[in-house]
Amino acid sequence: MWRRRGGTFAALAAFFTVAIMFFGIGGASALTAPATLADQSAPLPLGSTVQTGAVHTDVKGKTFAIATDTTFAPFEFRDGSGELVGIDMDLLRAIATDQGFEVDVKSLGFDAALQALQSNQVSGVIAGMSITDERKKVFDFSAPYFDSGVQMAVTKNNQDIKSYEDLKGKTVVAKRGSEGETFANSIKGEYGFTVKALADSATMYDDVKAGNSVAVFDDYPVLAYGVSQNNGLKIVTEKEQGSSYGFAVNKGQNQDLLAAFDSGLANLKANGEYQKILDKYLAKSEVEEQGGFFQLVKDSFPALMKGLWLTMVATVLSLAIALVLGVVFGFFKVAESRILRGIATTYVAIFRGTPLLVQAFFFYFGLPQMTGQPLSVLAAGVITLSLNAGAYMTEIVRGGIQSVDAGQLEASRSLGLGYVTSMRRVVVPQAVKIMTPSFINQFVITLKDTSLLAVIGFAELTYQGQQIYASNFRTGETLLIVAALYFIVITALTQLSNVVDRKFNK
Amino acid sequence: MSASKAKISVKGLKKSFGANEVLKGLDVDIVEGEVVCVIGPSGSGKSTFLRCLNKLEDTSGGTVEVNGFDLTDPKVDLNAVRQNIGMVFQHFNLFPHMTVLQNIMLAPVELKKLDKAAARAKGMDLLKRVDLVEKADARPGSLSGGQKQRVAIARALAMNPDIMLFDEATSALDPEMVGEVLQVIRDLAAEGMTMVVVTHEMGFAREVADRVIFMDDGYICEEGTPDAMFSNAQQPRLQEFLAKVL
Repeated sequence: MWRRRGGTFAALAAFFTVAIMFFGIGGASALTAPATLADQSAPLPLGSTVQTGAVHTDVKGKTFAIATDTTFAPFEFRDGSGELVGIDMDLLRAIATDQGFEVDVKSLGFDAALQALQSNQVSGVIAGMSITDERKKVFDFSAPYFDSGVQMAVTKNNQDIKSYEDLKGKTVVAKRGSEGETFANSIKGEYGFTVKALADSATMYDDVKAGNSVAVFDDYPVLAYGVSQNNGLKIVTEKEQGSSYGFAVNKGQNQDLLAAFDSGLANLKANGEYQKILDKYLAKSEVEEQGGFFQLVKDSFPALMKGLWLTMVATVLSLAIALVLGVVFGFFKVAESRILRGIATTYVAIFRGTPLLVQAFFFYFGLPQMTGQPLSVLAAGVITLSLNAGAYMTEIVRGGIQSVDAGQLEASRSLGLGYVTSMRRVVVPQAVKIMTPSFINQFVITLKDTSLLAVIGFAELTYQGQQIYASNFRTGETLLIVAALYFIVITALTQLSNVVDRKFNK
Repeated sequence: MSASKAKISVKGLKKSFGANEVLKGLDVDIVEGEVVCVIGPSGSGKSTFLRCLNKLEDTSGGTVEVNGFDLTDPKVDLNAVRQNIGMVFQHFNLFPHMTVLQNIMLAPVELKKLDKAAARAKGMDLLKRVDLVEKADARPGSLSGGQKQRVAIARALAMNPDIMLFDEATSALDPEMVGEVLQVIRDLAAEGMTMVVVTHEMGFAREVADRVIFMDDGYICEEGTPDAMFSNAQQPRLQEFLAKVL
């Protein structure tokens, strides 16, 4: 497999291209696939020489920064307590111990990890990365530490499907843009089945369990890990179209570290610890059933609370900014100046007339490419939400002001009070009262809209939920907990807002 | 300003709403202490004319001079001119989020004419004048129509204007409340306030007006003393109108 999760990124890139095209700014660069992007950028530092035959005794006592992905179970993912675990992590730490060096693991995401390596912010990358000829041009790889491949799985109780021959007339599911999909498509004519593509493993397994498709084609380690987590499936075929994963350093650099990794890996394989680590994540553990629902609640609680906190932070920040935007543009909308009205109308039209998702992709992926100024995911998320909610707030403010009887402003002006004083003392206090229920409504909408930021990797509540079921495959139950948390928070805040409303808007 | 000089001088006043010309060239001079009642059928332009006198409507042509200031001149400080013109609306337009007293105190306090205590005293004086002292802390929503309009008059008087404009002040009232509002207006007339009163109350116009103006179709059709207008109408259109309303 060239790059796992390529499908998701292709989808992001596509979305983002649409956004670029919508805003009328040249977007050829937007189409660059993430893997090539990582490969082509950041030229090698000048004057670096290959240190042939270097010995790895130099690594002793040193600390190396190693970058990895955020979640790619079973290679790296966070357990219930938020600790980064997985085959890559256990292997790296075991090798470090064996060779006497320290590691400082940075969980950055796959593309960001490669960028960090190329810009020498880290010494190496271990992220379930396939060794490919393309990548070998830029990186030096360790000996392969894992052999992957595509396998087919069906539900545990399925006795009918044992091989590709049994798939005739049936539908199977594979990960969009993955090696599994390529493989399934290559044999579908021969065996007469249909291939459907979905975005991630957890969803695919649910699709099979729900009976929408009879089998899933997925990467061996991912599938094996799922089965070990009692995801309700069983593997029925051998590995096909394998590729190997390696630890990478920049070409010609950190050769000591690379050598140390290789000899550490050889030592672990020799003393059996390597197999132990693999078994820990991939071996079938039929006996170890999953804990009950309340155990799941307990285990996932810390991560979900972290997510809920970020949800609240994003909501509060966004709403505060949106309120300012809404008031400013709302007054523009009722202004006498045609120019001010035009500005406000354009603003509202753009942000109400495009999907929030496209806006999020644009601010996170698009804008940084055009300006060269990277935005943190929180900043991009808050910008997106506040501009979006601001557009709706503008309409709320405009509607509120306009729903105050025109005679109120006339009466105030006839007393000799100016426009600003009249608005401040007479119109706005009445408008606020009218607007409050809509404000509360927008507050709830914005809080729920934060969940869309999961797609740009903002670690809010929904994202945390996705991370949890990506590793435990208990999609339904996890989402139920996530939904319940949203429900509780929103209900509580709505009640609170109503009390405040009644108190101050008598 | 001498008593003979016009407090309000309107020359060639025109007003259009889009293609619809509502005022087609009005010429009126009103002197200090004069009470002018404007009568005429619905849609004749009475209210629009009145609203041009404090520029609640932008004019389309002609000039409107009040106390020597030309309101059609964009450089004129409209807020300062308006402080000398009190206006009473058909639908009261009281501020519902304030108490009766706060309604009256708003302009003097905001415009720094009076401090809070003085404005309060002034407000209570005005309420005494319209006989509503006990409603000082009530919200407008709890008042009857007649009471609301009396508060509105008190509010319009808070800046000590020397001109009062009444825009069908009794048209939205139940019949039994018309009397109490007219009494307040009558008292103001007796004190020598310059007033322009758009009204459908012909009896009242006849009683308090120094001059009656009959408007029809955007023109001043006929004007004169109440006796001349009501007992000896010249224009057939005025005769027709009076036949309908009297």
